[in-house]
Amino acid sequence: MKYNKSNPIFSSYQNNTNLFDEIFDKNENVRPTYKKILELYSDHSIQDFANLNEKAKASFFNQGITFQVYSDKKAQEKIFPFDLFPRIIEAKEWETIEKGVIQRSKALNLFLWDVYHKKNIIKEGIVPMDLISTSGNYLRQMIDFNPPGGIYNHISGTDLIKHSDGKYYVLEDNIRCPSGVSYVICNRNALKRALFGVFNHYEIQTVTDYSENLLEMLESVKPKGVDSPTCVLITPGVYNSAYYEHCYLAKTSGIELVEGRDLFVEKDFVYMKTINGPKRVDVIYRRIDDLFIDPMEFRKDSVLGVPGLFAAYKKGNVTLANAPGTGVADDKAIYTYMPQIIKYYLNEEPILNNVHTYHCSNPDDLKYILENIANLVIKPVDEAGGYGISIGNRLTKEEIEKVKMVIKENPRKYIAQPIMSLSVHATYIDETNSFEQRHVDLRTYTLLGQDKEFVLKGGLTRVALQKGNLIVNSSQGGGSKDTWVLKK
Amino acid sequence: MLARVANDLFWMGRYIERAEHTARFVNVNYFSSLDAPNKLSQSRPFVLNSMYAMVNERVEDESELIEEDVLFNIGLNPDKIYSIISCIKIARENANSSRDLISTEFYESINKFYHYIMSYPKDTFVKNGLYDFTTTVSEHTAILRAKIRSTLLHNEVYALIMLGMNIERATQITRIIKTKFDDAERAIGGYTNPIKNSYEWTTLLKCAESYDMMRRLYRKTPTQLTTLEFLILNPDCPRSVMNSINQTYTHINQLDSLKLHSTNSSAFFIGKMRSEYEFKTIEEIQESVKKFVEDTLNNLVKISSKLEEEYFNY
Repeated sequence: MKYNKSNPIFSSYQNNTNLFDEIFDKNENVRPTYKKILELYSDHSIQDFANLNEKAKASFFNQGITFQVYSDKKAQEKIFPFDLFPRIIEAKEWETIEKGVIQRSKALNLFLWDVYHKKNIIKEGIVPMDLISTSGNYLRQMIDFNPPGGIYNHISGTDLIKHSDGKYYVLEDNIRCPSGVSYVICNRNALKRALFGVFNHYEIQTVTDYSENLLEMLESVKPKGVDSPTCVLITPGVYNSAYYEHCYLAKTSGIELVEGRDLFVEKDFVYMKTINGPKRVDVIYRRIDDLFIDPMEFRKDSVLGVPGLFAAYKKGNVTLANAPGTGVADDKAIYTYMPQIIKYYLNEEPILNNVHTYHCSNPDDLKYILENIANLVIKPVDEAGGYGISIGNRLTKEEIEKVKMVIKENPRKYIAQPIMSLSVHATYIDETNSFEQRHVDLRTYTLLGQDKEFVLKGGLTRVALQKGNLIVNSSQGGGSKDTWVLKK
Repeated sequence: MLARVANDLFWMGRYIERAEHTARFVNVNYFSSLDAPNKLSQSRPFVLNSMYAMVNERVEDESELIEEDVLFNIGLNPDKIYSIISCIKIARENANSSRDLISTEFYESINKFYHYIMSYPKDTFVKNGLYDFTTTVSEHTAILRAKIRSTLLHNEVYALIMLGMNIERATQITRIIKTKFDDAERAIGGYTNPIKNSYEWTTLLKCAESYDMMRRLYRKTPTQLTTLEFLILNPDCPRSVMNSINQTYTHINQLDSLKLHSTNSSAFFIGKMRSEYEFKTIEEIQESVKKFVEDTLNNLVKISSKLEEEYFNY
């Protein structure tokens, strides 16, 4: 089935065959998985999609599923653009992804234990010492501390892309406070409301079981001597860009949503202030960055945290998820050693591919990078949200020189990777009132508890809404799609 | 439940209720004045001053009031704490901070309401949107009440919101009585009958959406005595002070039934106040309406601050 003949809504679809299109193959035939949905969508006119798109937007806005953007001086309430064309992942393909992200999460957890204890991987020369010692995210306070259940990265978000060879590559691991999981569920609901008919033709894995698994995981890492733990989620507050998500997770897992000012520490135990007096807290899912959790231990000017919290944590009286200090392992410089790290701790070959990475701190690599910037992506190692990224083939000559200067000034801060071609997916574009190719990635969510592992069967497909753009982050104007994992 | 969140829920209830009373008061006063039977009741400054009195804005010289300013300040001025827009902004902020405890359905309603008010054009409002705006505000608050009742667990979350709503309702009804009582006193000169049969009593009942039911019960033109009796002491009138206090009593018990007998608690104080009102007669009140109104308002403030001390102190 060729796309442009039988599908009026795709009649103006420009298929750039240099890119990997997940719906159409090189010969412009519809891939088997997408045949049915394309058929179903063809019953609608493009005007139907324009209307549904408007309705979906209004629905997100009215439900207050929004985030704040700080780019201008004023914070603005925005919806996270949602696309009506779902991404479909076949059962077999998903199986590999699921195994792969669990493997990575476990390896990262073992790596964290090691770098905060005996540091064997460094002693054996597999990961260079200075990557750890120069990392701003390595917390000396965590040395020789055993987190409850032996877990550091309880919640991981792994960013994957499908390259032009049709294989998945891991772009980065997020094991500090990965966000976005609530949008996975919102997107599913939004698509169900808009185009419920299509769900009759596919057997799709549910995504609504995340919260119960989150709670189960949190309870599995309770402090010693606690029978039924009281878990809470701590948020920086209503003005945080992910506040909607914090509310959603607290509500659906039935735990209290607290702010720093609701908690206090007495004799190294943590309590929340309730209408019936203090109540002890055992497990804290924290959505506050390391440096802000306790003004007595980290940033003194933090008003978001709880004075004395870290001391209570080190006494083993409260669990923090994720553990402080995980940032040292999701550093983009550590990323490049992931194949070796997996091999070292698990004695397994990595299931998911790593993108080859050049370290600016390595003199040979640096030389290569400086000579080949036009073909590389330069990334700061410790920034999130897509900030600070330079894509070589988009830069002017002057800009390249500037980037070179910046790198030479602080080589530890940057890595470079070949420009990966993210796969593209048909996406409804408001301005042109048509479906067009847009680049997408995939963030998966993995939970790791004591004797518990869980991967949400879905994940967040993020789409770069600007034509040709490769950066999919919501703060950079990205949208998202419902992501279907098929049962068989 | 967190003390901070309890405080937010309580005030959310209060601000939703406040917005509605303000909207109704403005609506009824404005439109009923248009064909009022005497000159003073009809005059713009008199009506505008009455609206300001209701929201506690003091006026030096009422003849200088400009209609568009007064309407804007009460309806859509975000810089005035008493405006309807401010009430709904705060109510939604409070809903935000307790969003994990309330239902998606209720949150969606309050969020929609907020966006409706935020995007209401100022010019339309002061020129010809008064009726549309105030009736829509009333409708939205009715929806909120329904969502609170039908989609939340009837546990302490519900109890706190209802405490806020009922204390605010009692406060607003008393304030409306106070304002219209003052108006009626001023309007005496315009009537052949004394204050007892003033047109302001009808307006007062309409402000409380209680006119029809009052007529059904008494079958006579409202007088001062019957109006006050209905709005203060009738436990079946859903807007009466008595009804609100009864509900406050129910909900404080839902929150903490053990505290009822501790003499220092809010529960005890509310119970005591309820008993006093239950066995009051309208004749006793009529001896000094002004003093009664002042006492009621003071008691309501006391309840609120006692609750704060006992439950919201974080």
